[in-house]
Amino acid sequence: MGIPITYTEQELVLALKERDNQAFNFLYDNYAGALYSIIKQIVTDNAELASDILQEVFINIWRKIESYDQTKGRLFTWMLNIARNASIDTLRSKSYQNSQKNQELPDNVYKSVANQTTQMNVDNIGLKKVLEKLKAEHRVLVELAYFRGFTHEEISDMMSIPLGTVKTRIRNALLQLREYLK
Amino acid sequence: MNVKDYISSGIIESYVMGLANESERTEFEQLCTQYPELVAARRDFEEKLENHAFENAEIPPSMVKVKVLEAIGNPGSQRITSSNSPKIINMENSRTSASGSGNWRFLAAASVILLIGLAWFSYQSHNSQETALNELKSTNTALRQKLTSTDSILNKIVEEQKIVKDPNTTVVNMVGTQTAPKSSANIYWDSTSTNVFLVVKNMPKLPSDKQYQLWALIDNKPKDLGVFDATDDKVILKMKNTQKAQAFAITIEQKGGSTSPTLDKMQSLGKTLQTN
Repeated sequence: MGIPITYTEQELVLALKERDNQAFNFLYDNYAGALYSIIKQIVTDNAELASDILQEVFINIWRKIESYDQTKGRLFTWMLNIARNASIDTLRSKSYQNSQKNQELPDNVYKSVANQTTQMNVDNIGLKKVLEKLKAEHRVLVELAYFRGFTHEEISDMMSIPLGTVKTRIRNALLQLREYLK
Repeated sequence: MNVKDYISSGIIESYVMGLANESERTEFEQLCTQYPELVAARRDFEEKLENHAFENAEIPPSMVKVKVLEAIGNPGSQRITSSNSPKIINMENSRTSASGSGNWRFLAAASVILLIGLAWFSYQSHNSQETALNELKSTNTALRQKLTSTDSILNKIVEEQKIVKDPNTTVVNMVGTQTAPKSSANIYWDSTSTNVFLVVKNMPKLPSDKQYQLWALIDNKPKDLGVFDATDDKVILKMKNTQKAQAFAITIEQKGGSTSPTLDKMQSLGKTLQTN
């Protein structure tokens, strides 16, 4: 007790799969901040909602750690995707939609989201800050795909851009993003 | 396939960020098993994304951790929640089960377990007793061997003392020759009983094919009195008897001894008071 323990990613994953509480404590202390920041970017800075999602995310990490496959990517990547999916699911949930004052009719959702996105003040945190550096046409697509969780097909529909173009632009945007992350 | 082109297509970023579709993911994962450079590129991007996320980390409210630990039933959490509160057994339920047939099954199962436990315990204890007994036996054997060898040494010392103290015994002090100035031994010679005893005091160690040989010089003719080793140190050795001897000599001979001494290898010589 009281002795700080550090783990390599390999050790951490093994300990978590063996249901080691100490490892889970370490996982939380080490990764919660990074995941919380991403969740906040997706739920547009709603701290209360982000806290609830973060809680759900860590419970899910603990429950689903068995399914984590190291050959498919780093632990953080896996957790990041859980956090992103949980955030997007929350935004799309009926209860969240109902809680929004200006509720849109379902057939107008895409267009309104697209409009919001182009008009929205990009938060000056995390990946969104990096997105600012991209061309507007690229930024919107990444915003819709990554932060709103729309599929390429959905984006193609709502933006009236051919699917192939959506894919190419998103990939180009991501490659630029990669450069900015250096 | 051109891996470089594939890498620069943006598939890696798309995959890592969760934007690739099902078929793209399957293809990417399959190719990763074939192209290590693809895995390296993926790792590289993952690390960049991770580092960026860590640089932009924001401390969440502390209550989140408390709630998470409660939810997963972590013993580190402070409060007891319904998920890990002790199970309450209803009195009525417990009584019902005690009087039911389940109770007999339980007792039967428990007695079998107890029996197995006892059998195991007795087997273990028997095993450990046997081990202890074997240890005692081997210790005993070792002690016996030690006692036997100590006894024989003691007997030899007692015998040596008897001979030394016997008034009929003549002590001949063998001194080193020029060849071996440090060599020394004592001869205890009882001219009445004709017994000859030798005590090695300091004789250099010999090669394994050589031995020392004791001679009695009678009327300038050598008589073989037997062979000995330098290792027969400080123990009295009974040599062959002789009634007469004007001198004793020790030479180095081939193992087993010679019929006549190699006098140039004479190690020590001791004269008696006996005359022709």
